[in-house]
Amino acid sequence: MRRVITISLAIAFLATTPVFAGSDFVEYGEGVTIEKAVSVKTLLAAPDDYVGKTVRVDGVITGVCKMRGCWMQLTDPETGNGVRIKVDDGVIVFPYEAMGRKASAEGVFQVITLTPEQVQARAEQQAGEPAQAEGEGCDKADQKKDGSGEGAGCDAPVQDNRVLVVHGTGAVIYS
Amino acid sequence: MSWRKLIIATHRDVGYFFAGLTVIYAVSGIAVNHIEDWNPSYVIRTEMGSVGELPAGDNAIMATAVLDRLGITDRPKSVVRMAPDQLKIFLDRRTLTVAVPSGEVLDEHARRRYAFFEVNYLHLNHGKGFWTWFADLYAVGLMVLAGTGIFIITGRKGLGGRGRWLLIAGLLIPIVYLVLVVWS
Repeated sequence: MRRVITISLAIAFLATTPVFAGSDFVEYGEGVTIEKAVSVKTLLAAPDDYVGKTVRVDGVITGVCKMRGCWMQLTDPETGNGVRIKVDDGVIVFPYEAMGRKASAEGVFQVITLTPEQVQARAEQQAGEPAQAEGEGCDKADQKKDGSGEGAGCDAPVQDNRVLVVHGTGAVIYS
Repeated sequence: MSWRKLIIATHRDVGYFFAGLTVIYAVSGIAVNHIEDWNPSYVIRTEMGSVGELPAGDNAIMATAVLDRLGITDRPKSVVRMAPDQLKIFLDRRTLTVAVPSGEVLDEHARRRYAFFEVNYLHLNHGKGFWTWFADLYAVGLMVLAGTGIFIITGRKGLGGRGRWLLIAGLLIPIVYLVLVVWS
């Protein structure tokens, strides 16, 4: 029996050593397969050209869904503009601690038209504290009954009351 | 060894082996079930403050001024100008959202929730790799426990009596729920 315990501990130890676990990035979901990213600037300039297409976006993670890790905000550090990467709840969970790290994400680009309630919640939020990072009101207006939402929360980029979202299938977060 | 002895021995040893993990997954399961009411993995606090008017300059100059005035010596992971009037400074489990140039700061800092972060890390399989395989093995182990468990007792309290009705009742609850909520 001691032999069983020793072998179990050895397997657990080996599985957590850098040789097995480690590299300078962590892959989520199906990872990233497209070699060339579409810049956020290009997506924002002509979003309709990319709707329904699978794209890769690179940037810095400036926001993560705190409760479920079901979305992250990828921002171009040069311009401050970004795209919301929304994933299916539980399929991919973006860690809160990834905030500020560089990342690449891949998925189908979508444009979501905000409901009047979401537009109002957003306006109320923006009328609040100038340094407010993320608002409860917008997030609640964004929530479906099951709490999953579509990723059109407060700090998701908006153009003409439309939110730009990549329905993510995979991502790579760099350490 | 008779088949009954084999069933009992299997149930006993697999049960001992996975008892600890069952408790871990059960605790995490309750924690994650109530995600609407709390953040099961982190305690996140936000505070408003001010560091005074910021010096003119690029993001690095402003970030250095903010960190100096707050007495923070950690090196930021990144600094991003989100908008002309907003700068974000990302530190380890801490984000400073700074209004430019007024210097108002929203300081959001998080700590891992003791024990819950770790049990959720395992239960939600954030580690992937080895843990995926071990969690699969655990799932198989649970099926073995269920399959052997129902045959341990014979007689009135076993499958031929009360055990059968309890087994049916346990199966009926998820089926009725699905009929009423999902399939209706």
